[in-house]
Amino acid sequence: MIKKILIANRGEIAIRVMNSCREMGILSVAVYSGADRNSLHVRYADEAYYIGPAPSNQSYLDLEKIIEVAKKSGADAIHPGYGFLSENAGFSERCKAEGIIFIGPDAYAINTMGDKITARKTMLAAGVPVVPGTTEPITDMDDAVKTIREIGLPVMVKASAGGGGKGMRLVEKEDEIISSVKAAKSEALAAFGNDAVYVEKYINSPHHIEFQILADQHGNCIHLFERECSVQRRHQKVVEETPSPIMTPEVREDMGRHAVAAAKAVNYAGAGTIEFIADDNLNYYFLEMNTRLQVEHPITEQVVGVDLVREQINIANGEELHYRQEDLSQHGHAIEVRVYAEDTDNNFMPSPGKINYIHFPLGAGVRHDSYVYSGYEIPIYYDPMISKLVVWGNSRDEAIGRMKRALQSYKISGVKTSIPFLSRIMDVPDFKNGHYTTHFIQNHEEALKSIDNASEECVDLAAITAFVDFLKKQEQAKPASNGHADVSQWKAFGRKKAVTRL
Amino acid sequence: MSYEVNINGEDRKIEILSREGNRMKVQIGEKTYDLDLTEVEPGVYSALHKGKNFNFELVRRGSKKYVVDTIGKKLDVEIIDAESRYVKSRKGGEAEDAAYISTPMPGQVVKILVEEGQEVKGGETVIIVSAMKMESEYKVVKDRVIKEILVKEGDNIDGDQPLITFE
Repeated sequence: MIKKILIANRGEIAIRVMNSCREMGILSVAVYSGADRNSLHVRYADEAYYIGPAPSNQSYLDLEKIIEVAKKSGADAIHPGYGFLSENAGFSERCKAEGIIFIGPDAYAINTMGDKITARKTMLAAGVPVVPGTTEPITDMDDAVKTIREIGLPVMVKASAGGGGKGMRLVEKEDEIISSVKAAKSEALAAFGNDAVYVEKYINSPHHIEFQILADQHGNCIHLFERECSVQRRHQKVVEETPSPIMTPEVREDMGRHAVAAAKAVNYAGAGTIEFIADDNLNYYFLEMNTRLQVEHPITEQVVGVDLVREQINIANGEELHYRQEDLSQHGHAIEVRVYAEDTDNNFMPSPGKINYIHFPLGAGVRHDSYVYSGYEIPIYYDPMISKLVVWGNSRDEAIGRMKRALQSYKISGVKTSIPFLSRIMDVPDFKNGHYTTHFIQNHEEALKSIDNASEECVDLAAITAFVDFLKKQEQAKPASNGHADVSQWKAFGRKKAVTRL
Repeated sequence: MSYEVNINGEDRKIEILSREGNRMKVQIGEKTYDLDLTEVEPGVYSALHKGKNFNFELVRRGSKKYVVDTIGKKLDVEIIDAESRYVKSRKGGEAEDAAYISTPMPGQVVKILVEEGQEVKGGETVIIVSAMKMESEYKVVKDRVIKEILVKEGDNIDGDQPLITFE
């Protein structure tokens, strides 16, 4: 039985995993880099160990150091979270060799699904529909160009070892082929140390729909329905919801069956996600499998009522699944938005810095997975995601209304965030009606821009507020002349007035 | 000292006419506001004007620039005092292409694509900076000549720090 888990991650997901550990009476071990001594996951864990300098390749990606800490702390299992080492087959293998339980699939499943080309072949063999495209990795430039011409534009060039939108390029025009393939290859090499790419037919008006699955080590596998993740920006998810507004019960059953077949094809054990791309008519194709817990897993938890981290731990303990397919159903509707420290009005430029003040939304049906706090400085080395705001409602309309309310009461000062942008998404009619594809953000660029129609009164008051704050900061910066800190506002005003008169 | 505020690109005169605690009378442009304004939490202000409730969250950018967030809207506000007026007058009309390249946020230099003394064409990328896993390319607006490169690849940099200067 697992008694102590090392969480090889940081940020909100480390805390999310620790929550389940604590609820199950399991001790948690945090690891942290030089930039994270003040990070919340360090304070939240039962034990915490330093593993190296800030850059992730010297800390969170250093599996030797993490294994060393696991041994030193006596952790019997490692939970990798998402990102970092979560889909690293070598890490899974290494844990096994060291007698530490890796809370995730084995190296075979990660390797097969992690390499997009092998994954395609395996899915074809398992009868899961895939998108037309190449099955061999392309390293040669001429081959790439030839293949792209054969499949026909538009196509998507993707890194074999890729994920999360890295090393991915859409090619729409003939003259973009070479530059796009080059860019995809160099990005792939930089991010994954492997420049092999493959090419896929590009589907117009695509929907990104994924299925959560859980599989135990005894050959049982269930799905926990879909998540609609079509609201994306540069292939990064922004808003996710479940159920999908375009799903029908028949297609859901069909896709669920294929998702389970996909997982079984690699003898999967653990929690995983099968991503599909679907067109407007719900023709769907296997895209890839994420062999880890997803960022957006909370919406499934809210609607299906299953704690996915708890189930991951149970599976890792060798237990049989606690649920059968027929036990599960979807109740209500859940939406998640990812709050990033970024300037959505300035080309989504990251906005690291110190959070002066943060107030999380609360109230019925609101869940907030985060790791930041007032006074926390968001480091420049990692992902700009600062929290995930999740709401649940009886219906989709109720959930949207609740999300709007929650976003309104979410206060954060010091860094720019995507909160206003997310609020505007909730107001776009196509989103409200559930008529959207992965081009949603691109197609509604204008509607999603910061609105200039703030009332004159509001603009004036905003300017006054900034001015008053400016004067206040100036006042604070001045040393007190006589050692008495408190100067009457009237005196200060009088002095200013006197100066102005000159 | 007289102040102006620049809101969304427009300069307006601003003056606090009277103030008692949170109550204040402020003139901005041609209008006068009688309001109750208080900092309820660090960087978060509540303004009451004619019974209406406004919430503003401030993001400071340097000592005189603010981004003010209110529900779903962002407003850029810059305080203009004697010093900034002086700086502005010295720059003349050339504000659109600065004397150096800098980034609006802290990050790490990934790649420098130019050398000192090199001539670059408008729109050309001169430096790539990464912050939070995102790489951004910084370009010159007009044709320029590189004067000095002040950073190295791999350097950690601050926001608004000069990175590459031009002739």
